[in-house]
Amino acid sequence: MNIRNFSIIAHIDHGKSTLADRLLEFTGTIEKRKMREQVLDTMDLERERGITIKAQAIRMEYQGYVLNLIDTPGHVDFSYEVSRSLAACEGALLLIDASQGVEAQTLANAHLALQNHLTIIPVINKIDLPNADPDMVLNELKNIFGIEKEEVVLASAKEGIGIAEILKAIIDRVPPPKGSENAPLKALIFDSHYDVYRGVIAYIRIVDGILKTGFKIKMMGTQAEYEALEIGTLKLGLMPKDILSAGEVGYLISGVKNVRECRVGDTLTESKNPAAQALPGYKPIKPMVFCGFYPVNPGDFEHLKDALEKLQLNDAALTFEPETSVALGFGFRCGFLGLLHLEIVQERLEREYGLELVATAPNVIYRIIKKNKTEILIDNPASFPNPAEIESIEEPYLKLTVFVPSEFVGKIMELADDKRGDFKGMEYLDPVRAMLTYEIPLSEIISEFHDLMKSASRGYASMDYEQIGYKSSDLIKLDILLNQEIVDALSVILHREKAYYRGKLLVEKLKEVLPRHQFEIPIQAAIGSKVVARETKPALRKNVLQKCYGGDITRKRKLLEKQKAGKKRMKRIGRVDVPQEAFLAVLRLGQ
Amino acid sequence: MTSLYIHIPFCKKKCNYCDFVSYAGKEELIDDYVEALVEEIKTPSVLTLFGLLPLVKGEKKRGGLKTIYFGGGTPTLLSSQHFEKILCSIPYALSSEITIEANPGTADKAKLKELRQLGINRLSIGAQTFNDNHLKTLGRIHNSKQIHQAVEDARSAGFDNINLDLIFTLPGQTLKEWENDLKIAIDLNPNHLSTYNLMIESGTPFFDQKISLSEELDAEMYEFTIDFLKGKGYKHYEISNFAKPGCECQHNLNYWKNGNYLGVGAGAHSHINGKRWANPDSVEAYINTPTSFLPLSKGENAESALADEARGGQRETLFLGLRLLAGLPVEQFAGFEPEVAELLQDGLLTRENNHYQLSERGLFLANLVFEKFV
Repeated sequence: MNIRNFSIIAHIDHGKSTLADRLLEFTGTIEKRKMREQVLDTMDLERERGITIKAQAIRMEYQGYVLNLIDTPGHVDFSYEVSRSLAACEGALLLIDASQGVEAQTLANAHLALQNHLTIIPVINKIDLPNADPDMVLNELKNIFGIEKEEVVLASAKEGIGIAEILKAIIDRVPPPKGSENAPLKALIFDSHYDVYRGVIAYIRIVDGILKTGFKIKMMGTQAEYEALEIGTLKLGLMPKDILSAGEVGYLISGVKNVRECRVGDTLTESKNPAAQALPGYKPIKPMVFCGFYPVNPGDFEHLKDALEKLQLNDAALTFEPETSVALGFGFRCGFLGLLHLEIVQERLEREYGLELVATAPNVIYRIIKKNKTEILIDNPASFPNPAEIESIEEPYLKLTVFVPSEFVGKIMELADDKRGDFKGMEYLDPVRAMLTYEIPLSEIISEFHDLMKSASRGYASMDYEQIGYKSSDLIKLDILLNQEIVDALSVILHREKAYYRGKLLVEKLKEVLPRHQFEIPIQAAIGSKVVARETKPALRKNVLQKCYGGDITRKRKLLEKQKAGKKRMKRIGRVDVPQEAFLAVLRLGQ
Repeated sequence: MTSLYIHIPFCKKKCNYCDFVSYAGKEELIDDYVEALVEEIKTPSVLTLFGLLPLVKGEKKRGGLKTIYFGGGTPTLLSSQHFEKILCSIPYALSSEITIEANPGTADKAKLKELRQLGINRLSIGAQTFNDNHLKTLGRIHNSKQIHQAVEDARSAGFDNINLDLIFTLPGQTLKEWENDLKIAIDLNPNHLSTYNLMIESGTPFFDQKISLSEELDAEMYEFTIDFLKGKGYKHYEISNFAKPGCECQHNLNYWKNGNYLGVGAGAHSHINGKRWANPDSVEAYINTPTSFLPLSKGENAESALADEARGGQRETLFLGLRLLAGLPVEQFAGFEPEVAELLQDGLLTRENNHYQLSERGLFLANLVFEKFV
C-alpha cells in the first residue's frame, strides 16, 4: 500500500509549523500563492502564541504515494492528544533546532514516539541560521538516542532546504500501514472538532477493515451508536469519499452533537461486525487544574454560561459547574488540562465573547483522607474540611525533566527546591548541558514555575513533565480576612511552610489596593484561627472638597457622583468595599 | 436674583496649581473684554434677572443686587476705569457687598483707593502662604513682603472688610510651616480667612509633575486650622471659611444656600431656579458673542424658563447647605431618612437646634456625606 502516515514532533519554536507549510507547498497540496503562514494552525490564538492547540491532519499526494501528515499539539498540557495522534502514525519526523539542540519536549515526544513503535526520522532544522551548530546537535542525537549521523536530514524549513530529502526519507523509511481490509472495522479517533453547521467532525485513522458511507458504527468506549453520514479525506478542506480503507486517514461526520460523545482515543467499529477488542491506550480525559471564573459584571452570568457551553462543544477537556462566592457572586468552577489550557479558555472567553472575568487562583484536585477514614476529592478551597477532621492530605505529583546549560544548574536546583521538588537525578547530555529530574507537586508548576525557570536560565532551560500520581503533603488552607470576615474567593490551599510568606505577600498587596474606609481595616491571613500575617489599612482621614464656590457646582456634583458610582461597582464584604482591581491584583500575585 | 459674579480671566502668569479659566499673555484683549461684559450685562434677559424688569408678568420690579463678586484670574489687572465702566452698567444697592479678588503683586495703594471709591467694599487677597519658597513653588508672582504691603495699602485705602486666601499641604510644607502661616495671617488681623488644602487638578503643572500629598498631614493641618482660628475669635462657618462675627461672605453664602446667581464673562457659571449653565471658556469667543448664554429652548423666554422656583433641587440644596456648619433644618431632609440615619450612626452628622449638620468627624469626611445626596 502506498500510504505513509507520519507526524512531526518537536520542542516548541523548533519550526514544526513552518516545516508542515513547506511540505504542503512542495507536494503541490497548496499552491504557493494561497499559502499563508502556518496553514495548520487555524485558530488566531494558535498563530499568535505560535503553538498548536488542536491536532490536524492533511493528505498530500507525492510521487505516487499518499502521505498523511498528522500535526500534534505542541504543549505538555495536551500530551494525551499527542500520544493519540502518534498512535495513528507509523513514523515521526523528530525536528530539532540546529542552534538550540535537544530540549525537554524533544526528549519527551521522542519517548512517546518510541513507545508507539514509530520509526523516527531525525531532522535538524534552521541550519541556515548564523548560530546553527549541526555538529553539536548530531553529537547530542548520538549520545541521547544513539542516532547515527547518516540517519539525520539537515534542513531549513524556512529556506526550503532539505525538503525533498525529508519526503524521500518518509517514503523510504516509514513503514506502510499494516492493517487488513478484511478484518472487522477498527478506527482510532485521534481528534475531533465541532462545526456549527455539521456537528462534530472526527479525525480518524482506519487501522483495520473498511468504513463506508451509511455504515452503522459504534464507539467502543462509550458504546454509543451512530451512522456514518459522510466520510472522506482531509486536504485543506473536507474531501468526501465513499470508502476509507485500512491505513487511511480521514474524517467522519455522524450527527454527533458534542465532542464529548466522540472521545479522542476511542475506537470506532461497525455495529453489525464489531471488532473483538478496542485499540489500546484510550483514557477518558480528566481535568487537572481548576479555577473559578466570575463575570466582572454580575449581569453577564448567563452570557458566560452560554460561552462556556459553546467552547465545550469543541473542547472535551473543559468542565464547568456553577458555584457561588460570597465575595464574587455567581460564577463557574472550571476544570482544565493545565495552565495553558486555562489561559487559552480565559483568553477566548474574553476575546471571542467579550466577557470581562475575574479568575480565582488555579488549584489542583486534592485527596483528603478524613479521620473517619472517608476519602474526599476537592477541587476548590471552599470545600476544604475542618482541619480537625483531616487525617492526611495528598496532592498530585509530576515527574519533571529540565534541560539546562550547566552554568544555570545551580539556579534551577534552587528554584526546584523552593517549589518543593524532590531531586531525583542529574545527567550530563554533553559537557555543557544537563538533564535534571525532579518529583514535584503539580500545584507548584501551575503557578509561575515556567516563567521563573526561563528567567533563572536566561531563557535556555526547557522543561517537560508527566503525572506520577498522588503523594502525601503537609497542606493547609490559608484564608484572607478583611475586617474579621473571610473572603472566600481569596482562600488558597498550599504547603504549610509557604503559608507565612504567601500570607504576608497577600496582605501587603491588599493593603496597597484597598481604598481607605471610614474605619481602620485589619487585613489578616490565617490558617484556621491562627493569624500568620497582618496589615492594617488606616482609616480615611480626610475626604472633602474644600473649595466649592458658585462657579462650577455641576463639576463638583459629578465628582461626587463618580465617587458614589465607584463604590457601587465594588463588592461589599461585610462593611468593606473591595474593588474588582483588588481581586485581580491579589489573584495575579505569584502567577 | 441677588448675586452677580463677574469673571476676569486674565493673569500675568498662570500658577502651577491653577485649573481655573484664566489666561496669561492676553492682556491686550482686556479693553474688548470689558466692552463685552457690559454688553452681556445689558441684554434684556439679564436685566430681567436683575429685577429691573419683572420676572413674571404682573410682578413688581424687584430691588437691586445684594452681592457682586469680581473673581479671576486676576481682577486687579484691570484699571479702575475698567471697573467704573462695568459697575456703571449694574444696578446695585449701596449696601451691597462688592468683593474683588486681588493679587498682592498687582495692587498698589493708588489703585486700591480708586476701587474703594467706586464702591467696592470687600477685598479678598490671594496670599496663599507667607513662605517665599513655597510661593515660588506655587508659581505666584509675589513674595511674602508684598502681602503685608497689600494689607497695609488696603487698610489705608479704606477697606475694612478684608479676606486672606491661604493654601495648605503645599509640596514639602511641614505642619510647623503651616502653623506659622496662620500665625502671620492672624497678626494681619483680617476679617475673614479662607483656607484650602492644595488640590492637584489634571492639566496643571503640578499634576504633570505627579505631585502626591499626604492625607495624614492634610488632616493634621486642617485640624490645627480649626482649633487655632477658633481660639483667635474666628467663627468656623463653612468647611473652609472662618470669619469674625458678622463678616461672613454674603456672596459665597448665597452659593451654599443654593441661591440664584448670574455669572457673566468667559467661563462663568450661573444658577437660576435649578437651571445651571456656563459661558464658553474662550475669551475670544466670548468677546465675539457676549450676549446672554441663557439656556432657553426654542420659543421659550427668560420669564417662563426661569420662573419655576420648584426646580431648585433638593439634592443640591442638601449637599451645598451641609457645607455650612450650622447645617440645614431637619425637614429639608425629607425622603433621605435612611441616608441620614446611616450618617448619624457613622458619626458623620449630628443633630442640633432642629438642624442636621456635619459632625467634627464629618468635616474631615464631608464627601462621604455629600455623596449620599447626589
